[in-house]
Amino acid sequence: MTSQIEVDHLSKYYQVHEKEPGLMGSLRSFVKRKYRDVKAVDDISFHIDAGERVGFLGPNGAGKTTTLKVLSGLLYPTRGHATVLGFTPQKRETAYLKQFTLVMGQKQQLLWDLPAIETFLVNQAIYEIPKAQFEATLNELDNLLDLESVMKKQVRKLSLGERMKCELAAALLHRPKVLFLDEPTIGLDVTMQARIREFIGEYNRRYGATVLLTSHYMADVTALCERIIVIDRGHLFYDGNFRALIERVAPYKILRLQFEQPISRLELATFGEVAACDGLTAVLHVPRVQATESATRLLSQMKVDDVTFEEPPVEDIIREVFAGRVEMRD
Amino acid sequence: MRYLRLLVLFWKASFLVELEYRANFVVRILVGVFWVGVTILSTTVFFTHTNNIGGWDFNEVLVITGLFTLMGGIIQALLQPNVSKIIEMVRLGTLDFVLTKPVNSLFLASLRYSQPFSAVDVLSGSAIVVVALSRMGYIPDGLAVLEFVVMFAMSVLIVYSIWMVMATLSFWFVKVGNLSELFNTVWDTARFPVSTFNGVLRIVLTVVIPIAFITTFPAQAVLGRMDEATLGGAMAMGAILFGFSVWFWRYAVRSYSSASS
Repeated sequence: MTSQIEVDHLSKYYQVHEKEPGLMGSLRSFVKRKYRDVKAVDDISFHIDAGERVGFLGPNGAGKTTTLKVLSGLLYPTRGHATVLGFTPQKRETAYLKQFTLVMGQKQQLLWDLPAIETFLVNQAIYEIPKAQFEATLNELDNLLDLESVMKKQVRKLSLGERMKCELAAALLHRPKVLFLDEPTIGLDVTMQARIREFIGEYNRRYGATVLLTSHYMADVTALCERIIVIDRGHLFYDGNFRALIERVAPYKILRLQFEQPISRLELATFGEVAACDGLTAVLHVPRVQATESATRLLSQMKVDDVTFEEPPVEDIIREVFAGRVEMRD
Repeated sequence: MRYLRLLVLFWKASFLVELEYRANFVVRILVGVFWVGVTILSTTVFFTHTNNIGGWDFNEVLVITGLFTLMGGIIQALLQPNVSKIIEMVRLGTLDFVLTKPVNSLFLASLRYSQPFSAVDVLSGSAIVVVALSRMGYIPDGLAVLEFVVMFAMSVLIVYSIWMVMATLSFWFVKVGNLSELFNTVWDTARFPVSTFNGVLRIVLTVVIPIAFITTFPAQAVLGRMDEATLGGAMAMGAILFGFSVWFWRYAVRSYSSASS
């Protein structure tokens, strides 16, 4: 069986014009522009199967949005090609456009001056959704997102979080099989982020939809995606299981200790790798499999005031990936 | 059929928006009445010095004035809001939502919004035409009405095409506000019969910038002075310009897709 989303040696270059600083520079570039190729995406390949939830990670300008736009048919690849559901996205065939959706956290499609329900009705007509199905979907979305109270208020009077709920609903009314979500939680508070995240997870489970998501917030990715694709400056750095990546890059847990009396590095070294020690407090990196055992031993042999276990921060792990210290695939 | 239903839905939504702003409605009516007054007054002033402009007498020029106001209303109600929106969408990148919808993108972009209150100009313009015709004691026969309908449809098509080409230019130049200024300047010449202008300018206003097709020719049609050549010319001009605007839009979307970020 072939994958639902196939990206093969995809490259996308932009021509940007460069402007020298100052008035003279502006005048010069007004008359004659200098162009430079920017490799937004450079020879990337990956496959995604139906129903997968994949997190797309990378810093600003890494090429995440560009890739999503190519998959949505908004951009033509410079080289290589992509297929989604067997379609070539840039042909923008109606049959394809009806089966995916694109949500951009920073852009909105809702009609500003009207309640969101008006946009829903317009989308119903645009996507030719039968009335019964439309009502059923709207009902389910209402259950999941609690739309009832917000969809009849003017969009401009909604809070950012409420608006995002409505944006998602507007984008999902046609029950797309593939979801491209570009920073869907940007600017939202922690509670609302969690809410949106839960919703996306639930939608994926309920309809078996494929989700490809980009986000700045690690929590989005950790909570939602079992697989991640890491890119930076157009290159693919890692593609694989998220858990496996953590196990490999950080095969330890962090043990924070507080002692009753000063302790030396040497004494601690038998329990794990000492990351920090200043006498009364210490940080140990303990191999995952021995974590509990080490802690028990520690507690029985030393006078420990307080002890906590922590997972290594995901940001650090991703940084390792960018530094090129991690194998491309698991 | 599906597109017609969409159109009704779009206009309904726009109407609801307009209802949100009641003050705007009053202002639109006042502005509309004001401009009708100014237009009629200036035409009257011209005729205190002469009894014809380019071979058209007062009542006949009044027909053109009416059509000018009528077409202005259509532009304000249907074209201008969409053109501003297209320019805004290109600037903000929200055009992506239009391009990922399973309908014709030009249809969605060019007819999505409207300002129904601007239709007051459509009413007042029609009223001026009716008044002018009845002052002449002239009732157009079936053929004249038919020819008028065709010429007027072509006129709308031509104006639509010109505006869409201007809007499409925003894909490359992002700021095209100056272009609509240019249009407005040329547009004002449509107040008068094209025969007012001499030699070269008349040809320019017919062939290069098809202003003559917008008011003069439909007026000729309703007055029963249509010849086959003009009728055929108008249909050709409408088809060519509309064809070009559609092609240009597709070309722009393709280059937007291959260039922008």
